[in-house]
Order: sequence, then structure tokens, then C-alpha cells
Amino acid sequence: MNRWPLGFAGAIALAAPVITTAKPIAFADGYTVMTEYGAGTMTEAQFFYAPRYDFSVGGGHVEFDSNETSTTTRISYARLNYLVHRWNLDNAQANVFAWGGLGRATGNSFSGTRLAENVGAQADYETRRIYGSLKTDWQRSAAFDYRIDTLQLGVAPYKHDYGGLATWFLVQARQYTGGLHRGTEAALLLRLFKGGVWVEAGVTNAGHLQAMAMFNF
Amino acid sequence: MKVSTRIVVFILFLTSMAVEASTIEMNVNGLVCAFCAKGIEKQLRKFPATADVVVSLEQKLVAVALKDGQDIADAELRRALTNAGYTVKSIQRTDTPLADVRARIKQGKP
Repeated sequence: MNRWPLGFAGAIALAAPVITTAKPIAFADGYTVMTEYGAGTMTEAQFFYAPRYDFSVGGGHVEFDSNETSTTTRISYARLNYLVHRWNLDNAQANVFAWGGLGRATGNSFSGTRLAENVGAQADYETRRIYGSLKTDWQRSAAFDYRIDTLQLGVAPYKHDYGGLATWFLVQARQYTGGLHRGTEAALLLRLFKGGVWVEAGVTNAGHLQAMAMFNF
Repeated sequence: MKVSTRIVVFILFLTSMAVEASTIEMNVNGLVCAFCAKGIEKQLRKFPATADVVVSLEQKLVAVALKDGQDIADAELRRALTNAGYTVKSIQRTDTPLADVRARIKQGKP
């Protein structure tokens, strides 16, 4: 049951001009370790290395727990992330990323292991005060077909500078297909980052924890 | 003063001028987050001539302190920033010590 009126979440989304989701490529010659707990529906860990600023390679493990059908699916995958285009503006940056990969899946709704395919894309726009991103991630095999669409809008109460603590307030809307979750899941998040460490946590409209941590080095 | 002495003095003067150009300041587009700055700093510290690096998101400024008597060509700087994923708008060489650049940034002066 939703604990927030949808209008409240919508008002927050409108009040926050725009956002930053975690990028699959942080910087050239950089490593990214990321882990996310998605309100009990999705739990994911990733590791990537970017030899250049415009692509990274690595892999991850994701577990989906459907609150509709009580099925659990686990996928381990290798993935390539590619920066399709970046716009470096005077006071902003915008990016379009795409990725694809292959993995192996196990689960309680099918026997054995299945070959899993992963494709996705992300577009984001960011200034030092506002952030917006739209991400779609598709995991499929002969046994399942999941797509997770995530919209994040954020606002920073102050302009941070390098070496200082960055603080963001975000509203997130997420939709799962493939019987993982009915309806749109909304979440309010607090994001903090400093140096190469990024943490965010919040609560969904169903009262579940949503959390993410990322380390870039 | 003999001609040879004058030449030596002139060469010493030129050398001192070269040494004084100890800092490179670059205006960069797309600098909006700490990860941008971290990536740029990592690239610039790979140059043997780099003594220190300062990045200011507020000033959209990347400053490199050079080791004594060393330099980095503009083309190499532009390549490094491009390879880090950013766009260099301008490059200036100054004799301002990096500590003064830091102080200027802290005071919010361009």
C-alpha cells in the first residue's frame, strides 16, 4: 500500500528542477565499485574499470525478488558501458550512456542456468544545483523478461566544490516490468558524496529502504 | 659592461622569466562534480612536470603547478583534458604560486 499520496511525490518532482544518477563510467583510468539495495525488489553489486573516459568494462550480480509472484532470479553478468555522447556546457554537463552484456541466470521459477542478456541506456543532465537522469535496464532470458526504468530528479541545497561534501535531495520513480513489482515505486533519497565516495539512502512509498553506495578510485 | 657580460645577464634574465611561469591555469567546461575533478586531477598528475594540481568547480578552473624548469605543452594539456572527457576553453601561464591560486579560489575571486 502506498503511504505517500502520489500528488506529494509529484509536487516534489516538480519542485526539484532536475538531477545525477550514478554513472557507469566515472573517469578515465578509474575503478568503480557500486552496490544497491532496491527496496527488497532488486539487490545489485557492480565493478567496472574505465580505460578511457568513454567506456568501461566489468560485471555485476543482481538478484530480483518479485513481490508479485514470490520468484527469485539471480544473474551474474559481464558488461561493457559506453558513453555515446557528452555535452560539456559552461555550467552543466549532459551524457548519454548505453551498455550491453551477457550473463548466466538461476532462479526458482526455472531449472538449471539460462543465458541472460542485458542492455540499457541512461541520459543525464547535471549542474551544481540540479540533476536529472532517466535510466532503463533490461535483463532477459528464455525464462524471464525484466525491465527497470528509473527516473531521478534532484536538487542540491548549496553548490559544493572539489574536496567538500556534496549534498543532494532526490526523488526517484521506478517501474519494474516482468511481474517484479506492481505499479510505480517512488522514493525520497538523500545523497552525499565527497572525494570518491558516494552514498545515498532513503525510503520508498511502501516504507522500504532504498540505498546505494559507490566508490570511485 | 662587456658584450659577453651583457649576453650572460640577458640569458639569466630570460631563464628567470621562464622559471617564473610556474603555474598553468585552464578554464574548463563541464566541471560540475567532484568525480569530474578527480578524473582531471588523475590525468594531470601523470605528467612528470606536474608538481601539484588544484581544481575549482566554482571558478571552472584547473591549475597546475610546474616543477622547477619544466613545462607541459598546450597541446598535451588539451589532449589530457579531452582524454579525461572535458573541454578546455583557454590556457594561461602565470607566475602566480599555486598557494595564491588556492587562496584566490577560497576568497571566491575569479
